Amino acid sequence: MKLSNFNKNWIIAIPVLFIGIIISSLSGNSEKEHDLPDKVDFNYDIRPILSQNCFVCHGPDSSTRKANLRLDNFEGATAHLEHGGAAIVPGNISKSLLVDRISSEDPEFHMPPPEAKKTLSAREVALMKRWIDQGAKWKPHWAFIKPELPDLPDDIQEASVSEVIDHLIDRELIIKQLEPAPSAKKNALIRRVSYLLTGLPPDPVDVMAFIADTSADNYEKMVDQYLSSPQYGERWARHWMDLVRYGEYKGHEFDFAISGAWQYRDYLIRAFNQDVHYDLLVKEHLAGDMLTEPRYNPEEGFNESIIGTAYFFLGEGKHSPVNVKVEEYERIDNMIDVTSKLFQALTVGCARCHDHKFDPIPTTDYYAMYGMIESSRIGPLPARKTQKQVAQIEELKKIQKEIKIQLGAQFTDAVNEATPQFISQLQQFVKNADDIHSSENDSANYRVIGDFRQGDWKGWYTTGWAFGETPLRGTPVFDKQSRRVSGLVGGIASSRYFKSGVMGVLRSPNFIIEHDSIAIRARGINGTIRIIADNFQIIRYPLYGNLEKKLNSELWETYTSDLSLIKGHKAYLEFMPGIYGELDPEIEVKNSTRHIYSIKPQDYIEVQYAVAFDGEFPDLPFPVLDDQYDFSVKAKTQSISDWKNNQANTEQILLLNHWLKETNGITYPKALSELLTTYDGIAAQLYDSTHFLGLSEGDAVFSPVFIRGSIDKLSENKVPRQFLTAVKTGLDSFPQYGSGRLAWAESVVDTENPLTARVMVNRIWHHLFGKGIVETVDNFGLQGKLPSHPELLDYLAYRFIEEGWSIKQMIKHILLSQTFQRSTTTVAENQKIDPGNILLQHFPVRRLEAEAIRDGILSVTQNLDLTMYGESIPIHLTEFMTGRGMPSESGPLDGGSRRSIYIAVRRNFLSPMLLAFDMPIPFSTFGKRNTTNVPAQSLSLMNDPFVHQQAMYWAENLLRQKDVTISERINEIYIRAFSRQPSVEDLRGAETLLENLAKEYSQPLEEMKNDPQFWADYCHTIFNMKEFIHLL
Amino acid sequence: MNRREMLGICRNGFGSIAFMGMMGGVPFGQNLATAKESLGNTFDGGKLPHFVPKAKNVIFLYMDGGISQVDSFDPKPRLDKEHGQNPYDKFKVDATQFNSIGKILKSPWQFKQHGESGMWMSELFPHIATCVDDIAIIRSMVSDFPEHTNANYFLHTGFGVQGRPSMGAWVTYGLGSENENLPGYVVLNGGLTPPGGLDNFTNGFLPATYQASILKAAEIPLANILPIEKKDGVQDAKLRLMKQMDQSLLGKLGQADQIESTIANYELAYRMQASIPELSDLAGESKATKKLYGFESEDEHCRSYGAQCLMARRLVERGVRFIELTIPRTKHDRWDQHANLKEGHESNAHAVDQPIAGLIKDLKSRGLLEDTLIVFAGEFGRTPFAQGDNGRDHNPSAFSIWLAGAGIKGGIVYGSTDEYGYRVEENKTTIYDLHATMLHLMGMDHERLTFRFGGRDIRLTDVHGHVIQNILT
Repeated sequence: MKLSNFNKNWIIAIPVLFIGIIISSLSGNSEKEHDLPDKVDFNYDIRPILSQNCFVCHGPDSSTRKANLRLDNFEGATAHLEHGGAAIVPGNISKSLLVDRISSEDPEFHMPPPEAKKTLSAREVALMKRWIDQGAKWKPHWAFIKPELPDLPDDIQEASVSEVIDHLIDRELIIKQLEPAPSAKKNALIRRVSYLLTGLPPDPVDVMAFIADTSADNYEKMVDQYLSSPQYGERWARHWMDLVRYGEYKGHEFDFAISGAWQYRDYLIRAFNQDVHYDLLVKEHLAGDMLTEPRYNPEEGFNESIIGTAYFFLGEGKHSPVNVKVEEYERIDNMIDVTSKLFQALTVGCARCHDHKFDPIPTTDYYAMYGMIESSRIGPLPARKTQKQVAQIEELKKIQKEIKIQLGAQFTDAVNEATPQFISQLQQFVKNADDIHSSENDSANYRVIGDFRQGDWKGWYTTGWAFGETPLRGTPVFDKQSRRVSGLVGGIASSRYFKSGVMGVLRSPNFIIEHDSIAIRARGINGTIRIIADNFQIIRYPLYGNLEKKLNSELWETYTSDLSLIKGHKAYLEFMPGIYGELDPEIEVKNSTRHIYSIKPQDYIEVQYAVAFDGEFPDLPFPVLDDQYDFSVKAKTQSISDWKNNQANTEQILLLNHWLKETNGITYPKALSELLTTYDGIAAQLYDSTHFLGLSEGDAVFSPVFIRGSIDKLSENKVPRQFLTAVKTGLDSFPQYGSGRLAWAESVVDTENPLTARVMVNRIWHHLFGKGIVETVDNFGLQGKLPSHPELLDYLAYRFIEEGWSIKQMIKHILLSQTFQRSTTTVAENQKIDPGNILLQHFPVRRLEAEAIRDGILSVTQNLDLTMYGESIPIHLTEFMTGRGMPSESGPLDGGSRRSIYIAVRRNFLSPMLLAFDMPIPFSTFGKRNTTNVPAQSLSLMNDPFVHQQAMYWAENLLRQKDVTISERINEIYIRAFSRQPSVEDLRGAETLLENLAKEYSQPLEEMKNDPQFWADYCHTIFNMKEFIHLL
Repeated sequence: MNRREMLGICRNGFGSIAFMGMMGGVPFGQNLATAKESLGNTFDGGKLPHFVPKAKNVIFLYMDGGISQVDSFDPKPRLDKEHGQNPYDKFKVDATQFNSIGKILKSPWQFKQHGESGMWMSELFPHIATCVDDIAIIRSMVSDFPEHTNANYFLHTGFGVQGRPSMGAWVTYGLGSENENLPGYVVLNGGLTPPGGLDNFTNGFLPATYQASILKAAEIPLANILPIEKKDGVQDAKLRLMKQMDQSLLGKLGQADQIESTIANYELAYRMQASIPELSDLAGESKATKKLYGFESEDEHCRSYGAQCLMARRLVERGVRFIELTIPRTKHDRWDQHANLKEGHESNAHAVDQPIAGLIKDLKSRGLLEDTLIVFAGEFGRTPFAQGDNGRDHNPSAFSIWLAGAGIKGGIVYGSTDEYGYRVEENKTTIYDLHATMLHLMGMDHERLTFRFGGRDIRLTDVHGHVIQNILT
């Protein structure tokens, strides 16, 4: 849009201006002093008054409602009161008892009552009266009404989104008679765009090129350049990380690691760079593991979608809660809090103990979410699950089948006869097996939790490929030396279904712990057995150490755990190859690998059964795996055929095994050898330890309401699956099976959802202007702020959906507006009219965020390492950082010269410099960072060794260029630091400093000019200039 | 003087005139107005303080790890009688952190009556015992959490989770600081950051202005407090150039509160470079004073805690509102004696006993005790039965703390526990009550000191808390 359009807006706006004048002239005399609007709007004028002053006792929460009066809806407010009359009689001020109460001077009668310590102002009382007079119309809260395209003048209908933005902004400026600031200078613009899009200052070459470029679309080209920069993703991923309280360690006493957390950070960077559309991003966060068509990484072909759910587990956690149920409650509460603020900007967390005091969010909404999260399970998932691997798995399955076909032919060549003795033994075996499985619900002193010897999962869940599709059903054991098959392995769950070292977890259905102990028959190398009670994860001593077993024995053993501490709790079992931490706890402490999951190529676990029991280990009627059986021709033929189809049950495998033993195994043909070699070649490629902790489906749990938030007082009825009741979507019903996360995701991104698009475009606006259209970016509820430009917000939300939820496109629209390109300069007159610059007469002066300051320093000194992705750089420790769980070694002072996003986020050891500049502590959603002003900021720029170190690096870099004049050097410094050339005053300042320092260091001026110390001092001063840490 | 005028003054140059903004001596309420304005916050409390305060300063002596009440301030003869018996035969035993429940364990220390009040105290604290007539013991404290981290957060912030504002942050948010050269909330770190880390001292969602500055009782008390420049004049020369350029920038912009405040902030930082090291320069303190604080002790931990206590007094003299002391790292891990109760409690008590008594006496002799509230507290107590055979596990159901100084009735005991010291019997007192009382003594109504966050007006005391009137003068 060109400048001339501003005049056009003046013309458009004149009718509006007239209306403004008419309004003021129409205002009644008595109310004139209050400057009341002509038409009182419920959402903008009345609800804030009611919400602030009345809803605590007369709002949505029935448990604290007084006098059975509610004012949050029409029915309640106009209902007959116990003592006659009605609080509000629409159109009739004198009959509305509420008016008497809020205007009364009698403290006994006055509302709100004295103990509430609130009073309505005269203007508020006048507003209430006028609103009642005008018919007391209720409206749903603005944020719950679906955004619609605002009425735009005809000549704007065809305009670009950027032009509409300017129209809607300028319209308000005209009403207030504010003249917009002129466009910013080009060097300020490029610095602004570069920092806001990439978090880094622009390269001098780009600054010069942009200034020299006089083509009509030079600004747009420049914006495009930064939007497509890889550093864009790093900047915007960091914004998002504030929202999901990103941390890589769990805080509390020992700050244990969240294994693979950084994979999620990398996922975000890639997602923002690829401009993954917002609706898909949301779905991946809530249900990335459940998408039927996941998104694959375009370069490496791995499943990106599954990584999204990692955000659930990035919160705090403690290692020895006295009650694991309470711990689960705290953790899920945090997930609900974060998730509801993140996508919907609603504080659903407030509905944990009672219906929300202000917003229409009942406790049942909270516990519906609770059930969905409680039904999901967390654990290591492959972060590089590639399409290639999918194909490899299919190939391996095919080869496995082919092997069986070829071997099966060998089997049938050697038919034997059966003896009656064998038949009867086989029958006994089957009977015993039946007894075991029918005993599950018996009141006996044991209960079988899992038994894989029948060859099926019996409701157990698998993730990953490790455990294959079924327990082993006669996997042949090859002796490759003698080319013989010596036996078949069956009736066990094995993570070596394809090969050892493949990632995957096998989990039981939920069960209630009713017995004192549990025994698991298993073997494995670096295999793990875990008993997960109430989704409790950080299993260790002193309390819960025995709920985890790390296996390191090829021999079958019975692993027993004492369950008395978690008796009565809900639990499931999980088995996985690989371990959290180390086998040897001593190494673990030294290496800081505590709770970091790892898997090596030879790792596996195999399990036969798991039994919970009281007292002594029970005498189980389990079949004995010996070789006293014989078998019939018929049984054998059937067995072979079933086995080839991977349908053989345990008895059949026993049968075949017995025969193999009797015949001393069978020799297999050479062709099979080659097939085996092919198999091994493919299977060896499956190994990959890259992982993160993400969600997968478990048993559907429907949560009761925890009455008043107490884990001991549960409602009788369980809450069904549902979305937030106040948020209307286009979805008819919510499925009542599984976790429901996918339906949750679909409800969030449904185009009828009034919040999702508004919340996100508002976040984008906030990051670009430093203030949202709704200033409370994480709270669109009744206690949040009203939008400063409601029609603009709706317009952008509408466009956002219409254009396919593209974040980059939305950013570009905003950046191309004149509003964004305005200068920061203004005059005092304007500040009087609009002190907070709410109307955006000029671009607000902004201090850079913590990361941008640190990265900016590294960038201007040309010391920044732009390597992307990977494990985090350990935090640099100073002598002022002490406490438990302290890392054994300090990271480098300069963070390895990497961008701040790659510095480890240890909850108990956060970077002091980043914290000083308001990086949030990651405990809840922080859509809007504070911009504070504390001495630690000035002290760090003045005295921090890192800042001094960088100044010296810069000086040394500068002096590498020989035959350069002082002013040329200063010129370069200014272009790098401020994207502009130094003024005469700037140059004179530098000269004065040179003279002063020459005196201080007692050095001749000429020598000083080429002394790195002088240049380091000068560069250090540059870092401390306000221009360096602000956007102008 | 309005804010703009103040900012004008600070433009006159570094170190020239004390700037009164930001953390400085702004009259009550004025810095709140700034906070309110900049954050769009609604401050419901009106002008602060809400009423005439009794305490100007608080010294919070944090007994990290959980001191055992039955071995210190709450004598239980029945433990002697039933020593070695099974606790399950005596009372209902709650789940504990380590789940290693041993026999009833008598205290290894004798209790005696002290002072005019005849207050009972164990021989763990021979020096504090000489101050009993100045202190009020609360024997009926309870916490909501049996785990260190949650209990620490709860004690410090009123919530058992990470990220909530600490009580010191609330106090400075409410009242500001009296000293324009020092932060209003200081933690003197003895060497052990409590479980939960620095978040025990955080501003949480309050503006960062109110966070604790964590000082060590050492030559360099604060990170980045000393200029790196080798020559004195170098930093001055650099800052002069910086100031000149910043003024020029301001002139160009026409408006920029944000930049003006940042400039002002440099003024404070510059002055702190002198004022903070001056704090820890104890050269001017007399030998007798130092001896009082335990500087001559053979116990290095007693000497270091003595230095912290002496620095606490110096901070009080300089008008710092809220001072917390963490304990030194002795051989035994904090007060957290899951085993070796006798050795562990003795070494910790020895480190803090004389310095604390010295602090009380020194403050009193200088007339500062009447304006200073001292609080001595851990995050929870310990079990009357053993963990293993010679330790005690965590007990949030009863523990003892004490208060002394401004507004506190000396020589009294409030609340009581059952005969085992296991659970509170009378006058159950919560952390919320403690916070409400501390705020009350500082002149603030805990129900009106609020900050809007996440859609709610949040208080230090959440929706709880009653001022403990019985211990007040």
